[in-house]
Amino acid sequence: MSLARKQIMGNISVALAHREKADEHSIDQEAVKLLTSFEPELPGLSIADVVEAFYTRTSGPKVGASITRISSMEELIDTVAGVLSEKGLVNKIALQPDRALVDLDWGQSGFQLGKEVDDGVVVGIARWGIAETGSLVFHSASDMPVLFNFLPSFHIVAVRASTIVPYLESYANAANIAGDPTPRNVCLVTGASGTTDIEGVLVTGAHGPRELHIILIDDTNQIVGTYDEN
Amino acid sequence: MTAIESTFKKRAQAAVANKTLKAAIERTASTAEKKRAIAIAELPDFSNMRSCAKRIKDHVIANLDHYLETFERNAVASGAKVHWARTAEEASHIAVDICKMAKAKRVTRSKSMLGEEIGLPHALELAGIECVETDLAEHIVQLAGERPSHIVWPAMHKSREEIFSLFKSKHEKPPVSEEIADLVLSARRDLRQKFLTADVGISGANFLIADTGAVCVVTNEGNAELTTTPPKVHIVTAGIEKLVPSIEHAFVLLRLLVRSATGADITQYTTFHCGPKRPNDADGPEEFHIILVDNGRTQMLADGMEEMLRCIRCGACMNHCVVYRQVGGHAYGGTYPGPMGAVLTPVFDGLKQSRDLPHACTLNGRCAEVCPVGIPLPTLLRQLRSRSWRSGYEPWLTKANVSVWAQFAKRPKLYHAVSKIASKVIRLFQKNGRIRWMPLAGNWTRHRDLPAPASRSFMQLQRSRHKENGS
Ligand code: SF4
Repeated sequence: MSLARKQIMGNISVALAHREKADEHSIDQEAVKLLTSFEPELPGLSIADVVEAFYTRTSGPKVGASITRISSMEELIDTVAGVLSEKGLVNKIALQPDRALVDLDWGQSGFQLGKEVDDGVVVGIARWGIAETGSLVFHSASDMPVLFNFLPSFHIVAVRASTIVPYLESYANAANIAGDPTPRNVCLVTGASGTTDIEGVLVTGAHGPRELHIILIDDTNQIVGTYDEN
Repeated sequence: MTAIESTFKKRAQAAVANKTLKAAIERTASTAEKKRAIAIAELPDFSNMRSCAKRIKDHVIANLDHYLETFERNAVASGAKVHWARTAEEASHIAVDICKMAKAKRVTRSKSMLGEEIGLPHALELAGIECVETDLAEHIVQLAGERPSHIVWPAMHKSREEIFSLFKSKHEKPPVSEEIADLVLSARRDLRQKFLTADVGISGANFLIADTGAVCVVTNEGNAELTTTPPKVHIVTAGIEKLVPSIEHAFVLLRLLVRSATGADITQYTTFHCGPKRPNDADGPEEFHIILVDNGRTQMLADGMEEMLRCIRCGACMNHCVVYRQVGGHAYGGTYPGPMGAVLTPVFDGLKQSRDLPHACTLNGRCAEVCPVGIPLPTLLRQLRSRSWRSGYEPWLTKANVSVWAQFAKRPKLYHAVSKIASKVIRLFQKNGRIRWMPLAGNWTRHRDLPAPASRSFMQLQRSRHKENGS
């Protein structure tokens, strides 16, 4: 044990000598209680359906992303092609190496798949979506390089309606229930990269993507999160 | 009078006289104030949410030893290396040593007030290691050779024109115009290569998650992940008060942090880092170091200032402070400006040197009203004032004035008699109820008129009213 650690811990127990030291179990219980007493005070979600709430939120001014809804994964390639042509971009993309994306036949549709992520177009898929904030959640893994969220100029992200949960806390809960292994890196992405550092004026594309386009896949027959209107 | 005290006054005076500075501060602080008000109004019950946040922080502080041990255990299990530092110097030293071990030539750093607090940029420079600040505002401040003037908008004191000429002289491919979008693009170009070629990335932490050993960092620019992912080594510097029991607790605080800081509901990027790159991971650092820093925090716990340890560094108190908005961040002379800085700087630099800061406050209570974790800043400032008085740090003139005043205050009859005469004398200088000049009041009347005292005092009015009512 380092001397510094010993001294810091020593200082703390001297400073806190007046308290009745609780055992680990009761500290944990108290911590949980702090959260349950808070539950009714979550920010309101204006729309009863979680997926609708997510859609409204991400396409609204607070997140400022663009969003397309499709009804199945099969429509993904055509949708991406449409989004790119609307922006006047060629069909040159880097794919997040997730099976759900890689297994689609991109070549057939005239896509050029590259490894160039830096300032290019990346097509990815989020593990979860959060309606409260309009966030996309990514878990780092062999099929999810962290930098794919940050290096591109244009970020296109697919997310399944069945993975959309109401609140930030519900994400933690749902990931637990789904048995997601705790990843090294969890990233909540909410909109494109932005800054207000100069004269308080918002400019997008500070260091990360300049634009975020979300493709919401309506597979809602297997909803994960439950939601009560509040 | 101590040297620092006179420089604080000088700094404040110079700042007040600087009209461009005033305009720059006002622009950002007033926007932040408005946006925060809207965001808070949208919440179903801010006060309840705040008391929950406050209770979470208090719970952690009351069990700090338990949470430090739990965090350390879980962080180590995730493959992180945990270091402990008692002082700023020790913390910088550990960070520099890790950089040296990694044979680092270039280090990228994403904004962390703790890094500033422990003097890390300077320590790296002394060690001959290039340190690149990657947050846009920190990048501006670094190129200008200045210090941050706000904890959320470190470059709020700079205008676009100033930033344009700065970038023109420092960027390889300079911006084409003064347009803010061009300036941002120029910084993006300049920093992108540096992100990808750094040997070590250093970040702070917004929260340390005890039950997983993860470190939460939030940014809007995405510079933190670009700082910490490509290099071989990621170093986190964090104050020991940053702990929360779990990710759910972090979410409660996060909601308040972001709304209080910028008025948004969440930052664009909220990332939880847990240990180094795993065998199958596509990217990430091979080494993950966490430096837990005390630097006065256990002292605050012992000194009855534990409430300050709740601070989540949102900056709302300074955006709403009448003094900060007049003098700006640099006048405070420390790492942390505004009300929270006036409490923290005496802890870090000593009350003797910084006794003027707790006095640079009107005690109007706005800061405590907006603080998302309910820190009673005015009370803490008053505590510091009386500590300064008891320790004999106040200048002799103040002490003399107060003891003369106390002699009168203890004798009400004498007090009323003298104040009656004084108010008569003062009224001799009035014209239409205003006083433009008066001996001994030059410091006041140089900048504004002094309202003349009323012809009858409150006590006199009360007395005659009582008489009229026959009571
Ligand atoms: S003292 Fe309160 S308002 Fe000020 S920065 Fe800290 S948390 Fe925010």
